[in-house]
Formats: sequence, structure tokens, C-alpha cells
Amino acid sequence: MTTLSEKLHVQADESTVSADPPAPVLSVRDVRISDQAGDREIVHGVSFALTPGRAVGIVGESGSGKTLACRAALGILPAHFEVTAGSIEIDGRDIAGLSSAEWTALRGATISAVFQDPASYLNPSIRVGAQVAEVIRVKKGVKRGEARRQAIDLLRAVHLRDPELVYGQYSFELSGGMLQRVLIAAAIAAGPRILIADEATTALDVTVQAEILDLLADLREETGLALVVVSHDLAVVAQLCDEVLVLRQGEVVEQGPTRQVLHDPQHEYTRLLIAEHEQYGLDRFLAPKEDA
Amino acid sequence: MVRRVLALPSGRIAVVILVLIAFLAVLGPLLAPQNPLATSADTLAGTSGAHWLGTDYLGRDVLSRLLDGSRISVLGSLEVALTALVVGAVPGILSVYLGRTFEWITLRLADTLVALPFLLFAVAVIALLGNGITQAMLVTGALVSPLFYRVSRAATLSVARSLYVEAAVIAGASVGWVVRRHVWLKVLPPIAVALAQTIGVGFVIVSSLTFLGIGVQPPAPTWGGLLASDLAYLSRRPWAPLAPAVLIMITVWACNLLADAIRDVSGEAGRALVNHRKARANRLDKAEPAPAGGA
Repeated sequence: MTTLSEKLHVQADESTVSADPPAPVLSVRDVRISDQAGDREIVHGVSFALTPGRAVGIVGESGSGKTLACRAALGILPAHFEVTAGSIEIDGRDIAGLSSAEWTALRGATISAVFQDPASYLNPSIRVGAQVAEVIRVKKGVKRGEARRQAIDLLRAVHLRDPELVYGQYSFELSGGMLQRVLIAAAIAAGPRILIADEATTALDVTVQAEILDLLADLREETGLALVVVSHDLAVVAQLCDEVLVLRQGEVVEQGPTRQVLHDPQHEYTRLLIAEHEQYGLDRFLAPKEDA
Repeated sequence: MVRRVLALPSGRIAVVILVLIAFLAVLGPLLAPQNPLATSADTLAGTSGAHWLGTDYLGRDVLSRLLDGSRISVLGSLEVALTALVVGAVPGILSVYLGRTFEWITLRLADTLVALPFLLFAVAVIALLGNGITQAMLVTGALVSPLFYRVSRAATLSVARSLYVEAAVIAGASVGWVVRRHVWLKVLPPIAVALAQTIGVGFVIVSSLTFLGIGVQPPAPTWGGLLASDLAYLSRRPWAPLAPAVLIMITVWACNLLADAIRDVSGEAGRALVNHRKARANRLDKAEPAPAGGA
């Protein structure tokens, strides 16, 4: 994994070592998102600050506004959705006034994302390696051969066995877990400081999901990547995040350090989520911490 | 795609015919056994050793005239197709990206062009700009360009909404990158089909115009002109229009065959077809090893 931290120009050390709380790389302040067509507010005020090397989790059921909040941070809200109040700052810059050229420069290089259903996020007609190399070539301005070499290094860094072989394959030749690794490689290719994982492990089976979560945790430790983990699954968030937001119908019903929220849920909805998940093994995360 | 087209028998036949026609267009005038403009006393002769396809009403060698005239037909149809491609496909792709105003204007323009009858328009333009096949073909190309506009716009729309384009945008792709990498691949197969089809249509248009004597000064030989010149002497030589007619027919048929072959091998249906053929071919062979994977 040392190769990866060298490849990614992310300042990990200062942020984790320094005593002062470092400046947040992504700060979301009371963001409200409305559907202009239906003229109703979908997300009623989400706030969090994310410093390098930290992870924030957003939990909630379908339609609770998790994905919209992420898309707002990426500047890719669907047509006629708008941020109507609050502000989002990426690396100290308010995103409200960004031109599309500035967005293009920012995406990939500073903020990036991976989503559910990795197969449809890769072009089936282009070899997957070339799609990773393309990001490196355009974003870092390196030559084709060098981009290819770096892409293979990245594929190795996301724990793909035989990266040279995978480089030349098409998306339909790879399994879901491999595709998600390729997508993560593409997402971190230009060395972003923030990675949004929106239901990134939902479509994968449990063991592969655990591997991908481990990979994300590794990246975060090695490179100081700041993570936003969006999931309907509390267990995923518990495994990875320092802070949790519980979203219900666009409302943050509970927010705080993961441990605190999981152990001492204040809101009945959070309690319900935890109760539902205990049978799926969430107690695994609860039990050892209760001893501590 | 080229390899997959050639894997189909119909694709092979079409390509062979079109290569032959292209060969005629390049070398035809050199291959012509006699001067295509030289008249002789031997008028309206049948097939003979000296005149393989006989002679016309002025005693000119039909084979030489056909060979000599092939260049105009091929050049003309290529002019139509390439003009249509540039005039149609470029705004077709851009209409998705350059905003509502551009989209609206180009859509209305395309509708307008469809409404204009291109043969009449070509005749009108020649009347206006002087007799010449090139200006007629350029105008015709512009008039058939809505086909390319529609086809490339439809393909671009379907890509623009796809998730992999969204992924590229999140990775920091500019519009140029998206068009170059993702749209282009999707637009290419339908455009190739439209191009092959339009070349066939181009042959028909060139032949129609030259049949009417438009675009080319009479003594110069053309396929359409040959078809027309002997029509008056059908009673004495009923087979006369056969040679140019068959040539035009085969060429257009080959273009349509090629268009069909390209359509068959591109897209989902194409993959299924090719796989089906492959499976049949492999039935007795050893099964191919499954693609090896990584993690």
C-alpha cells in the first residue's frame, strides 16, 4: 500500500499528527434541497464537517435524501433539484458560485465518488484499465504509457489480483466486487481528498462487502482520504465511520460520534434501525465496545 | 466492427462489390478499351469481340463509356454521403450539449430540410449556379443530412443519460472528453449504417440527375446518361439499358447490404448474432476457457 500513498498526493501526515483540529476539507452547513418542479423541500438541513482522514456516515431508508445530499456536494443534482439554503464548502471554497469549468477541475482532483451498481458506471465498450488510465492522463496531464503504468499500480493498490490482465478486460468480464474495486481505483486516480461512497457496497454480497469496506478503511488510513459513507445499512457505517448522521425523510433525527449514536440512541427511529440490525450482526460492533 | 462485418457472408459480398466499384472509379478510365467519346459507323451493334457490350446510337463503345462514367457516380455519391455526415452528425451530437436554443434551432432546421424535395432542389441549384455535379451533390447532401442529425442525436441522448457518463463527469470529465470517449463509440455504429445507406441513395441520385442530363455535359459518359441515351432505340436494341441499369442496381444493393450487415453486427442484437454463429462453429470444438479473473 505504500505505492498508493506515494501515488496520491494527499497530505495525510499533518492532519492526523497535528494536535489542532485541521481545517475541514468538506463542510456542509444546514443544506436544504428542494424539488423545484413539485415545489417541496426534500432535505431539511444537513450539517457536518469532514477533516482529512475522517469518515462520516449518513444512514437512512430509501428516499430519505442521503443521495441528494451527496449529489449536491458533487454538483450533480438531478434536473430541477436545487440547494435552496445553507452552504457547501469543498476545501474552503463555496461551491455555490462555481462555473462548470471550475467544477470539472474540482471533480476527480478534489472530490470523487463511487456508487451502487458498479457495472453501469463503466463503459461496456472500453477496456476498464483504459477508463482508469484516462482519468490519470487527463487529470494529471501525463503521457499514455505513464498513465497506463500508474493505472496498473492503482489496480494493484485496490487489491485486484493480476492487474495487468484486469487492465485489458471489459466490464462484463469482471465480477461485481472487482468492478467496484476498478471504480474505486478510477475515483481515487487523480488523488482526491474526499471520496463519497454512496451505497458502494449495497449490491455486493457480505464477504465482498467486507473486503471493499476494508479497502476504503485502508485508503483512508494510508492517504488521509476523507470519506462520506452513505448507506441504509447501519453495520456498514458502524464499521467505517467516526460520525453518523441518521436521516429520516430529509430530517437529521440524530447526529454524533458513531459509538455514542449506536450505544445510546436518543431518537426512536435510530433505536428502531439498531433493533432491526441486531439480527444481522450489528451486535458484533456493539459488544466489544460495551466492555471498553 | 470491421472484422465482425467481414465475418458475415453478406458483409463480405457487399465489401467485395464496393471495393470492385471503387477500383473501377479509380482505374476505370484507364481500363476502358477504347476512347469513350470516339464515334464509329458501327452504331447500335450487339455484343462482339471489339465491343463487349456493344455500341450506342453513335457507335461509341458501351463498356468504355460505363468504365469511364463510373468515376462521376462514385465521386458524386461519396460527396452526398460525406456532406450529409458532416452537416448532420456534428450538430446532431452538439444539439445535446450546446443548450436549448441551439437544440431548438437545429431541430427545426432538420424538420425543414426533410420537407424539401432534394431532386427538385438539386435541379434548382444547378439552374442557379451553373451545370456541375459537385454543387448538386453538396446541396443534396445537405438535404439528406437530417438522417445523420437524427441518428447521431438519438445515440448521443442515450449516452448522455447513461451512468458511465455520469461517472466520467464525477471523475472530472469535460464535455469534450465525454464526447470523444463515450459518445463517439455509441454514435459510430448507427452513423456507419446511415453512411452506407446514404452512399446507396447517392448513387440513385447521381444516376437520376445524369439520366435527366443534369450535372454533366452530354458527351461525357455517365451511368445515368447511358441509361437514357439508348432508351430511344429500345425497338432496335431492347437489351441496351440493361448494362448500366444492372451496374447501378448492384452498386446500390451492395450499399444496402453493407448497411444491413453493419446494423446486424452492432449493438446488443449484433453481439447475440455473432455469438450464436460462434457457438455454432465451436460446437464440436473444445469449449473456450472462461476469462480468468483477478480478485
